[in-house]
Amino acid sequence: MAYHPRENWNPSHRRRVYTRRDFLQRAMVLGIAVPILPSILAACAERSGSGEGELAVGNPGNPVEQPLFDDNQAIESGLEAEEGPLQIYNWADYISPDLIPVAEEALGVDIEIATFFNEEEALARLSSGEVAYDVWFPTSQRVAVAVAAQLIQPLNHDYIPNLAANVWPQLADPYYDKGSRYTVPYVTYTTGIAWRNDLADSADIEGKPNPWDIFWNPKYAGQIGLYDSFTDTIALALLRNGVTNPSEATEDELVAAGDALVELVDLVDVRYTIDGAYVGIPEGRYAIHHAWSGDLVNSQFYWPEDGDYTVTRYLWPANAEGSTAVGPISSDTMAIPVNAQRPVLAHQFINFMLDADNSLENFGWVGYQPPQNALTPDYLIENEWVADFLRSALVTPEDFERDTAWVQGPLDADTEALWSAQWTRATSGG
Amino acid sequence: MPTNLQSAEYDTVGQKRWVWPGFAIPGVVWLCLLFLVPFYAIFAIALGRIDPILLRPVPEWNPVYWDPTVFAEVAADLFGGQLGLVALRTIGYVFAASALCVLIGYPVAYFVSRKAGRWRWLWLLLILAPFWINYLMRMMSWVNLLSPDGQVNQILSFFGVSSFPDWLSGQHLVVILGLVYGYIPFFIVPLFAALDRIDDATLEASRDLGASNLQTFWRVTWPLSRNGVLGGLVIIMLPMFGDYYTPNLLSGSPRTRMLGNSIDQFINQTTSQGSRGAALTIVLMMFVAGLMAYYLVTINRAAEEARR
Repeated sequence: MAYHPRENWNPSHRRRVYTRRDFLQRAMVLGIAVPILPSILAACAERSGSGEGELAVGNPGNPVEQPLFDDNQAIESGLEAEEGPLQIYNWADYISPDLIPVAEEALGVDIEIATFFNEEEALARLSSGEVAYDVWFPTSQRVAVAVAAQLIQPLNHDYIPNLAANVWPQLADPYYDKGSRYTVPYVTYTTGIAWRNDLADSADIEGKPNPWDIFWNPKYAGQIGLYDSFTDTIALALLRNGVTNPSEATEDELVAAGDALVELVDLVDVRYTIDGAYVGIPEGRYAIHHAWSGDLVNSQFYWPEDGDYTVTRYLWPANAEGSTAVGPISSDTMAIPVNAQRPVLAHQFINFMLDADNSLENFGWVGYQPPQNALTPDYLIENEWVADFLRSALVTPEDFERDTAWVQGPLDADTEALWSAQWTRATSGG
Repeated sequence: MPTNLQSAEYDTVGQKRWVWPGFAIPGVVWLCLLFLVPFYAIFAIALGRIDPILLRPVPEWNPVYWDPTVFAEVAADLFGGQLGLVALRTIGYVFAASALCVLIGYPVAYFVSRKAGRWRWLWLLLILAPFWINYLMRMMSWVNLLSPDGQVNQILSFFGVSSFPDWLSGQHLVVILGLVYGYIPFFIVPLFAALDRIDDATLEASRDLGASNLQTFWRVTWPLSRNGVLGGLVIIMLPMFGDYYTPNLLSGSPRTRMLGNSIDQFINQTTSQGSRGAALTIVLMMFVAGLMAYYLVTINRAAEEARR
């Protein structure tokens, strides 16, 4: 190798580095046919080809514009749509299968969906450059990373009139991507507490100054579940300990959060699940579970036939009577990968998804709420898309502006190491 | 035999010396591609760098630049830290589950191979049939069976038991039994083959020489089937050490985390900590390789004894 990143690496020299194609060719010459290897090699190449380093990470109080790059331009206006099939890269079970045929008819092409189970996997595959999807669904906290690594391309809003027409102004011009340069919002959700009022006393949760304390209540030992997701759950422990901005938590605060989670093992027999909120609650395995609002809306479809769905409750501590606690809020987005083969079609698909009727249809299956002006909580409840007792699981545009709302940003490697270390402590058991 | 065939160029059956080893070339290439290269990739990631933008670990292919920091941290955590606890628990679970597999599986394999007569194929089929169902599906059904109002508790209450443990709340025994249930057929089948190979004449000889049933079993059947037991143990213990979905589904409690869960957590949940998962994988692999070496030495010794 003529070059090594540790040898006085100078960003201005980065064009001398192997291109991704060189890497792949070399990988092939070496006979490396194992599927994962080209992706690793190419990820290595991608590093040298990516931006200058600083991520543009915003929050509702401090919105940011994502940087534009000369070699990463939006497509021209007025282009003809490409031939299908349109390739979508999405989370598993995160788009209504009933909506796909409608979209195929509207766009006049076939649609193929590839899925990922976590965002690390998606980032790894996209940054390898060996896949070329047309539409991808990143979470809002990954947008800055995806832009800096030039994984996604700027959007041409001429193709997406529904963005300005239908989407909440707060998210049509969102804090993480001012002017929606690279992304449009897909769904939005809060993270809070789900419980069954037949198995838990609502008075233990509602009206409390810090509702997060419920997970540390030994009265519900054996009936409490948290998400098996380290960012969500470490954040939960930080919020419970009164840290108002978990993103800036100090090491001491993180250790205290880890202590609090370790305490849960003996105190309440805590269990970590990923389906506990929408499957475990209906099955009665949990009385109280850490919950994304969308999981809870969706849980109605997981109740046994003789079950009583009306016992389900949800509370978002950032907007609950008597609560002074902070609560997480977030949104997921749609974006077009930089190497998309059908960018015009991808824009048309995104516009299709931002149509009020289509997003409502999608909401009915996915359970995660689209930030559409027309789909107010009142509308959704009156038309029986969501039960009245779950009004608290619906997000409003104003929720993003609350002082008590917190949005999670990406963690840098050192911070993530600290969070991860506490998570290892919390989940290793006694 | 012409003298030129005895030269260094030819072997005893008159083939050129490279001919027979030549048949191994496809296998060797295959092994290199699908085993050695990925194995090296795991090292390259465990000892590699972090991408400054994507924050993901990137492999360091050149050993000159390998950075052992993460490896050292993982090793320190394993000897005296939280991961050490998880490692001890994993070893405990795997050995307990393997012991149960021997206790349950040996009599079953013995019965099917030596006592079931003409119905043995049916017995074998019945043992294997449930395992045509996907592993995850079978574990999920245990979740249903063991849930608070599940069939297990219903049956218990039918017999007058009124208070049950919460099976799925992180019971060591439930996870161990889950492992046993999941892997036992893979123990029974190779053991069945080993028992089936024992020549009836050796057992008859033992009886003719005055040994009792028990003595015959202890001095003839058991020694002849011991390698089958070891082989079965290797087959079930290796995947058990990496298992993470059994404790996930049957418990979910931090009390029952296994090393597989820790690896999964580093690789699938975090962005920058994947190299920790890779380092942990390597340590686990070295430990399992130790067990494997013991097996190979034992088998080798047995083969030499048989040749004598």
